[in-house]
Amino acid sequence: MSEAAQPKRISRGGMIDRARALSFRFDDRDYTGYAGDTLASALLANGIRRVGRSFKYHRSRGVLTAGPEEPNALVELRTGDRREPNTRATVTELFAGLEARSQNRWPSLALDLGAVSSCFSPLFVAGFYYKTFMWPKSFWEKLYEPAIRRAAGLGRASGQPDPDGYEKSFGFCDVLVIGAGPAGLAAALAAARRGARVVLCEEDFLLGGRLNAERCSIDGSDAVDWVRRVEAELASFADVRILRRTSVFGLYDGTAGSHSASGTRTFGAVERVSDHLQQPPQFQPRQRLWKIVARRAVLAAGAVERTIAFGGNDRPGIMLASAVRSYVNRFAVLPGRRVAVFTSTDDGWKAAFDLSEAGASVEALIDARGEPPASLIEQLRATGARLYAGSRVVEGHGSAGLSGVTIMDSQARRTRLRVDALAVSGGWNPNLALATHTGSKPRWSERIHAFVPDVLPGGLAVAGAARGALTLREALSEGAEAGAAAAEQLGFSGAAGEQWRADEEASEVAPLWFVGESRGKAFVDFQHDVTHEDVALAAREGFRSVEHLKRYTTLGMATDQGRTSALNAHAIMSALTGRSIAELGTPGARPPCTPVAIGAFAGPHRGRHFRPTRRTAGHGWAQEQGATFIEAGDWLRAQWFAQPGESDWQATVDREVKAVRTRVGLCDVSTLGKVDIQGRDAAKFLDRVYSNVFSTLPVGKVRYGLMLREDGFVLDDGTSAHLSPDHYVMSTTTANAQRVLQHLEHARQLLWPDLDVRLASVTEQWAQYAIAGPESRRLLEQALGDALSVSNQAFPYLACAEFRWQGVPARLFRISFSGELAYELAVPAQYGDAAVRAIAAAGASLGVVPYGLESLNVMRIEKGHLTGNELNGTTTAADLGMGRLMSTRKDFIGRVLAQRPGLTDPRRPALVGVRPIDPYSPVRSGAHFLSMGEPPTLENDQGYVTSAAFSPMLNSWIALGLLSRGRERLGERIRIHDPVRSGTDVEVEVVAPVFFDPAGERLVT
Amino acid sequence: MSHATLIPRSALAGLTFHSASRPNVLAWDLPPVSLASVVSRRGPVAELRRRALAELGVALPEGPRRVSAGFISLVGIGPGAWLAIADRLDADFHIRIGRTLGPCASVADQSGAHALLRLSGAQIRSTLGKLLPIDLYPRAFAVGAAATTAAAQIPVHLWRLEDGTGGHPVFEIAVPRSLAVSFWHALTESAAEFGFALNP
Repeated sequence: MSEAAQPKRISRGGMIDRARALSFRFDDRDYTGYAGDTLASALLANGIRRVGRSFKYHRSRGVLTAGPEEPNALVELRTGDRREPNTRATVTELFAGLEARSQNRWPSLALDLGAVSSCFSPLFVAGFYYKTFMWPKSFWEKLYEPAIRRAAGLGRASGQPDPDGYEKSFGFCDVLVIGAGPAGLAAALAAARRGARVVLCEEDFLLGGRLNAERCSIDGSDAVDWVRRVEAELASFADVRILRRTSVFGLYDGTAGSHSASGTRTFGAVERVSDHLQQPPQFQPRQRLWKIVARRAVLAAGAVERTIAFGGNDRPGIMLASAVRSYVNRFAVLPGRRVAVFTSTDDGWKAAFDLSEAGASVEALIDARGEPPASLIEQLRATGARLYAGSRVVEGHGSAGLSGVTIMDSQARRTRLRVDALAVSGGWNPNLALATHTGSKPRWSERIHAFVPDVLPGGLAVAGAARGALTLREALSEGAEAGAAAAEQLGFSGAAGEQWRADEEASEVAPLWFVGESRGKAFVDFQHDVTHEDVALAAREGFRSVEHLKRYTTLGMATDQGRTSALNAHAIMSALTGRSIAELGTPGARPPCTPVAIGAFAGPHRGRHFRPTRRTAGHGWAQEQGATFIEAGDWLRAQWFAQPGESDWQATVDREVKAVRTRVGLCDVSTLGKVDIQGRDAAKFLDRVYSNVFSTLPVGKVRYGLMLREDGFVLDDGTSAHLSPDHYVMSTTTANAQRVLQHLEHARQLLWPDLDVRLASVTEQWAQYAIAGPESRRLLEQALGDALSVSNQAFPYLACAEFRWQGVPARLFRISFSGELAYELAVPAQYGDAAVRAIAAAGASLGVVPYGLESLNVMRIEKGHLTGNELNGTTTAADLGMGRLMSTRKDFIGRVLAQRPGLTDPRRPALVGVRPIDPYSPVRSGAHFLSMGEPPTLENDQGYVTSAAFSPMLNSWIALGLLSRGRERLGERIRIHDPVRSGTDVEVEVVAPVFFDPAGERLVT
Repeated sequence: MSHATLIPRSALAGLTFHSASRPNVLAWDLPPVSLASVVSRRGPVAELRRRALAELGVALPEGPRRVSAGFISLVGIGPGAWLAIADRLDADFHIRIGRTLGPCASVADQSGAHALLRLSGAQIRSTLGKLLPIDLYPRAFAVGAAATTAAAQIPVHLWRLEDGTGGHPVFEIAVPRSLAVSFWHALTESAAEFGFALNP
């Protein structure tokens, strides 16, 4: 690729691979860059200064920084379902075939119709929308907000499912080092040499930090060589892990078991595993979210240079001085041919030297300070630049890109210079957000005129520029000390010798926040288009605290968090209100301190893997039988088993119900909760947790039980079987299995620790199948053979037994949810698949059918049996017609509070059955009861339908519901009101809540 | 009388996976063995320890550790709670332990409650690092260590055996049987980049 194609590329140097040219597209035009470029450096190399439009005023914007703090150069990266809005071009590694588009402009970047809003900019001050679009109120949602959101906003999300994978990973280390600049590398090496397990995280794809961007030396040779040597040594340690392209975004509390006082902390980090590639390679995620538990941590995240607020300080071509040095030295890109530098720091001068060295014509060095250091002035002489000491830039010109600047010198004379780039240096803000995530506030430093970390979270040390130590010499020594100290605190010791020599640097800073003589808008938040005038307005209107200023003007609330300029706004507020910046303070920072894709937080847990799914041992068999599955809590349960020719699920369910009621059916009930209860006091325990008596239950029998919460409402129902003298097994509903076990453990451990009873969940252990219907006994006889006698005499209703079936431990319970002669057969789950096949084979000649949850539901409604619809946390035993199960001969959980007046009020809704007068009028659960002729108002509400189904046995819709004074109203006609779904009311008759075999004769035959 | 026979089936039977070709993560679907939960009953645990030592020949581990002797291993899974693992499938395992430990412990058959997997390979720690919120570094999780924790939201018991051939660590993990398919998905997805093999 010829250099001509990249007009701003410097012919030599830089950390790019000129042998690997990469083609890419920006706004539908083709360009070329090199491996090692970022999208920003490649665009600049191609002479592109304008990369986007601003948020509110649609002003042209260019690249301001060379790092993650970038507020302007946000692009839409990639296309189709991989399109990512608001991607920072300054951290996007160039790859072959990269496609990006500028944002927030229409129809094109050069001709943006939204830019007319700049003409009305006096209107668009802070609070404009809130003040203007107040009336009429109803217009806000329908008209104003959508229009404003279209006009503002940044990129567009793809709107399609993300095709790539995201992972989570847990990391553990002795010492976590955040940042691999000079301080971080020194810290990591010092800790590693002492034997500590080290994780080193670096946001960039290269280690080295500012050493990659500056011309400096360590121990007399190029600092980049030092970086490579340290990198190689770190790689030689088995216990050092270097995570490149990884941002540590949050510091959290200590982990359980390791009290935070011990220094152990948890950090969140995101590793951009494949963001630098066209698409992730097979089996690789796009990003990986790390949760890193570190016993000690060293924050060496460096500092961010800040701008100076002057008129037109946002013109494309105006860049931070440190960014200019990055582009010149690391990326071999010359941001301009005729350049100037505007600084209030010693550091800013380096940009002039580097630009000159790289071949640019440095027209002027404008230092706001009256007397810059003589050594710098001496060095400047060689560049031929004119020095403007005690001067300021009052305006940047050129709406499409910088064309010149107006300077006001110390005698207040204005001079206009023609330049195409301006490097700005207003000082450095330490990257200290992580040090404040646990709530500590930073401290104002009069030395560097910035906030620096103050009280640190336990276990965290800060080194180098992140602590306000801005020179290379300080970074190296502080890093080494912090790394060594962290290791030594943990008992590691040994080799020292981290003594590196770096040159002296001039690093004085004089604060210059705002050029008062500015002409035009001076921006203090580029991404949110906040100007010095907005700060003044906030001050006038009383929003004077930094937190109010932030929320009123949106200062620092964009994705860049105002890292390059929010402090300028605070300084302006400080001057306007006569308080020091230290008094004013700085807004609290919360994690994440850098944008993290929501997909990274979700990780692999999306779609059907959002949470784990539980499958029964008979799942495969059910699949073979054509089951349709439904999620029931965490479980997948068979909903029905459709057969060829059945028109809809109702036909399937009708067939299944009729088959069970006339022959025999087979249903997987393994999902019900099962609790093993053992101990000398097991019976006493059951008496206390159930409302009815269990201590009278003989061995070999099962009893239905009702469990109340402490507050007197029903918690759950189920059965407990007495297997042997001190041994019971309890069943719970599927939905409440975990809650009931928790409730029981709470009672056992806290309420009655004196009872000799122990619980174990055996839900997973037993695969359990209901065999129901008139032929169920014959089926079992065929299946079990001599293993167990199941005759009505030997094994009557509510009998239970433990036995061996072909040598396998098995349990049989004669219980029924369907109301038929029925059994539940349990085997250890590894035999569940074989058992269900054996039962099905034994029943084949009897016409056994598998039935699902829907048929089970129809049959239990026919019998008036309860499920979660009725046991919904608002019902009492009496409401459900179970008052007789409230024993008066013993105490139990919930007894006292169940006697509250509100819970014994006869007007409470009580469980009833209802049947529509027209049997084919569908009834839906959730529909409300109304007396005939009364208007549908809240005051007239009489209760609601809890469960409804079409009963193939009665050839009619039937339902259960909770009706006010229900038991007194049998025979009454009322109506069902369901305005949301059906619209028309259905007239129904109130009946007893048992529709089928009310005497229960089928159970005992 | 039915002639169908009851044979145990692995919770992982028939499951598939995709991964990079050279396997650096190995898993073995262990043949069925009997398991039982053992929970100490009210009163001092000393008598339980004495019986375990005298009758079973094992010193009950204190804390999250695994010990093994003869036909039985015991893994500490909570305060006064252990998972007992037999070396084979034995329908009487829980009954025998229950009798041996007598009224000092409640013992319940859990043979069907878990899927047991053995895991090893050069990248097994990196793989488990994506699933488990615990430190498996050799110094932190030595041979004999055990943990009751969660893997990709799934409650699991994990313990470390002697290193295998090639010096790679060997872990066994007990996963609730109903969640075995979900665990399998999480495991194989996590191992895919390193290469995975089942029962190599």
